Amino acid sequence: MSTIDDPRLLDGPPLPPGPARATATTGWLGRLGRGLRRLTLLTLMGLVLAGIVHILAVLLIPALAERDAASAYASLGNGGHAELVTPAPTGLPVMAEADPSSVSAVCSYDLGTGPVRVIAHIGSLPLGLTLHRRGGGVVYAITDRAAIRGVLEFVVMTQEQLDERLAQDEEGETSRELRVVSSSPQGLIVARVMLRRQADRSEAEALATSVACGPVD
Amino acid sequence: MRVLELAYVIALGAGLGLASARYAVAERPWIGRAQVGAWTTWPKSGARDTDPYMRAYLARGVHLPLGAGEGLELIAERDDAGQPLDGRCRYAVTGVTPPARGWSLGVADPARGPLQLAVARESFTNAELVRDERGGLRIVAAATPEAGNWLPLPASGRFQLRLRLYDTPISSHAGELRPEALPRITRIDCR
Repeated sequence: MSTIDDPRLLDGPPLPPGPARATATTGWLGRLGRGLRRLTLLTLMGLVLAGIVHILAVLLIPALAERDAASAYASLGNGGHAELVTPAPTGLPVMAEADPSSVSAVCSYDLGTGPVRVIAHIGSLPLGLTLHRRGGGVVYAITDRAAIRGVLEFVVMTQEQLDERLAQDEEGETSRELRVVSSSPQGLIVARVMLRRQADRSEAEALATSVACGPVD
Repeated sequence: MRVLELAYVIALGAGLGLASARYAVAERPWIGRAQVGAWTTWPKSGARDTDPYMRAYLARGVHLPLGAGEGLELIAERDDAGQPLDGRCRYAVTGVTPPARGWSLGVADPARGPLQLAVARESFTNAELVRDERGGLRIVAAATPEAGNWLPLPASGRFQLRLRLYDTPISSHAGELRPEALPRITRIDCR
């Protein structure tokens, strides 16, 4: 703000007594009012911007996440079998909020090299298989009650790979394989077995790590 | 002056926007939660169409939530009277559990640190439970040993009870559960 805006200087010093002082006070109040209005407007603009930043930040967190489960356990399961994460392997972070009455084994996948086939032979303990995409969130869940003749089998693929397969399928023939579309090319296959009793731990660990995951061909 | 005004708007927008986003996803979000009696659950946390806040919360840590078809997790931080759960008190968990292939009831720390328990038993499963002659459920949670089904608690401080239902038909409509369908948490006494 320049000195020209100051009404006292426009009137010229010194201030005459009486009505002129009242004018000066009114000018000062007017300036204060204008300033407050401007500040309110700027604050409102800031709040609108804050809303936009808030929404963008929440939506971007999954895409930028580097500490999510799929990133933390990306090195597990390359041997064609799921690997235990309860307890966490040395050097890897501990799974948050894990149920002490269950064991989990994970197998990471990258669909960039082609679809992944998952085969689980069920046992006597409750087994659940879930697909967790990179950036958090469950894409698919199935339990051993859906097993056919004791085997739970499905193929994980991207939408493009599914379209390709559908085009390759013989005319009129329905494929018998269960196809699951993953919305992200990377993620985790999690085999979770509930312990009925603490003594079931070794059986549950054997069941969870027996889940096979590997290329389709 | 214009630069100052612009700086004020940007600082307010970026600061408030980022801080509120961080606050909103630091814990399990308010959006999408369902409160049934003393229990809180997020029915969509394991679903494909989960909301962006839950997704951001899950992405910020090594979370592998139960899938929607796999099971359901319910968390209690307060008893039925609304008092926060405290390790200095004894609690009775009674009533019924919704239909499920199996369930476990565990003790957890809100800060997620390892618990200092008298005995290394952090959870109970339906198979380990000793039921009374009418088949009812009664678990006593206390820091000192109790007769019957004893769930050890930390000697002091806040804790959570976590009920995990495996392979349950209710996971898709957990928000419509009535409090009578879930175990009641009653405070017996306090030290």
